[in-house]
Amino acid sequence: MYCNKPVNIIKTWRKIKKIIKVSISLAKINFILRTEGSYLGIFWYLLNPLIMFLIIISIKKYALSNIQVENYPLYLFMGITGFNFFKQALSNAITSIRSNTDYIKSINTLEPEVLVVSGVFQVVFSHLFEFILIIGFMIYYKIFLAGLLFYPLIFFFFLILTLGLSFIFATIGMYIYDFDNVWIILTQLLFFISPIFYVIKKGDFIYYFNLINPLFYFLTLARSAVINFTTAPLWIILGMFFFSFSSLIIGLLVFNRFKNKFTELI
Amino acid sequence: MINKQLRRIQINDISKVFNTDTSNNSILLRLLSLFTGKELQKPFKALTNISLDAYDGENIGIIGKNGSGKSTLLRLIANIYPHNGKIITNGKLFYTNGFGLGFRQRLTMRENIYLVGLIMGLSKSEINEIFDEIVSFSELNEFLDTKVYKFSSGMINRLRFSVTIHCLEYKKPEIILLDEVFGGGGDISFQDKALEKIKEFIESNATVILVSHDMNIIRKYCDRVIFIHDGQIISDGDPEKTIDAYLTLIKKPKTPITI
Repeated sequence: MYCNKPVNIIKTWRKIKKIIKVSISLAKINFILRTEGSYLGIFWYLLNPLIMFLIIISIKKYALSNIQVENYPLYLFMGITGFNFFKQALSNAITSIRSNTDYIKSINTLEPEVLVVSGVFQVVFSHLFEFILIIGFMIYYKIFLAGLLFYPLIFFFFLILTLGLSFIFATIGMYIYDFDNVWIILTQLLFFISPIFYVIKKGDFIYYFNLINPLFYFLTLARSAVINFTTAPLWIILGMFFFSFSSLIIGLLVFNRFKNKFTELI
Repeated sequence: MINKQLRRIQINDISKVFNTDTSNNSILLRLLSLFTGKELQKPFKALTNISLDAYDGENIGIIGKNGSGKSTLLRLIANIYPHNGKIITNGKLFYTNGFGLGFRQRLTMRENIYLVGLIMGLSKSEINEIFDEIVSFSELNEFLDTKVYKFSSGMINRLRFSVTIHCLEYKKPEIILLDEVFGGGGDISFQDKALEKIKEFIESNATVILVSHDMNIIRKYCDRVIFIHDGQIISDGDPEKTIDAYLTLIKKPKTPITI
């Protein structure tokens, strides 16, 4: 019997490669366009996390004085940038399909996945600039730089997680037009629930919420590696794997199930 | 040259129903619609029991009034709309709805060429190969690094046409579905050039299905014409007879259609 499994695998691999390639190019264009004609250019990407950072650092002395963390400014900045990436990427995903009607209705050459992935990659580019600031912080606070070597790997799993959720969010965004407003409210909740500007201790009430919060796993892993140059507990690493791959699998299944219907909704 | 041995498109008994907006609903549903912002919908049959075959090298024109289902049929063939019936295509397929793919106003002409090329499935190196042809065909060589928002609408149309047609030429699809693509924009001399370019495609070995309201174009390029009315094929065959039936319907809408 003729088996065409290897042919299918090669075809799928080629398709994935093409989607990633086109997504990166499209993300680059959108990234450039966001700062086009602007006097401050890429500084706009850094302004939001920097202002948030300065506000929290300023009030820490008065309102958050009980927080005792070594290298708190770096701890805080990593929290803010991780949160910002997650929030912005998913926000892009919600409108990724419906704001690009032309590309999926007027032509048959563009896979709709490209629009979702490029929205995430666009935020990856701005995260690269935030990463440079993280390096700056580490140099300023004389933190051992070797921990940075683990960051790309940890971020890769975070990216997988975000991509998976992006596919789910893009699908929901096609059926529920209010979902971007819901996401704004949810991100406010997420900001205060996640250990961004404070520390969560085992046994705290909020600790149990965070066991189902993928952002908690990423922040714990990234901070352990970069700031403390240590490995996080095994269950945190496994939790990150679990959330990343399960969200990607579920995301792709959901997106593929509904993507053919998108053209009828816009 | 039509090759009847090679069937490029096979459609068997396809129907398509859309949900369209309506205000004829209960107060409860209307209130729900008000709060959710979602419009109320009712089913609309866009196509009913469509069957057709298209062969290699065949040029088929699709005519009919606005909203008759012409574009829906092309989108079903291109797999843009979902369907439950049987549509088989054999060969690389390209569909475009006008030459109006979104340019980014704040990018230069050069950047837009790469963007549209990318969207049309070409890699950067492939776009490089046809880049000079695109620019010279558009006759906009001196504006290569000018941002497109500074272009006149005629210049934008010329560029759009030039990019799309050259990318299409490079990809060499075996099945081409063109939905209202005629009129390349720009001045008369450019329109002639654009028509000549489209003619090259239509006269190639590809199977071409074109939707147009311009009967001269349909007469000139199609060896078979399909007339769709209210989502049904009224006539499929001889161009002159089919066009006459369509024109009769336009002039005297209440006259029964005879072929």
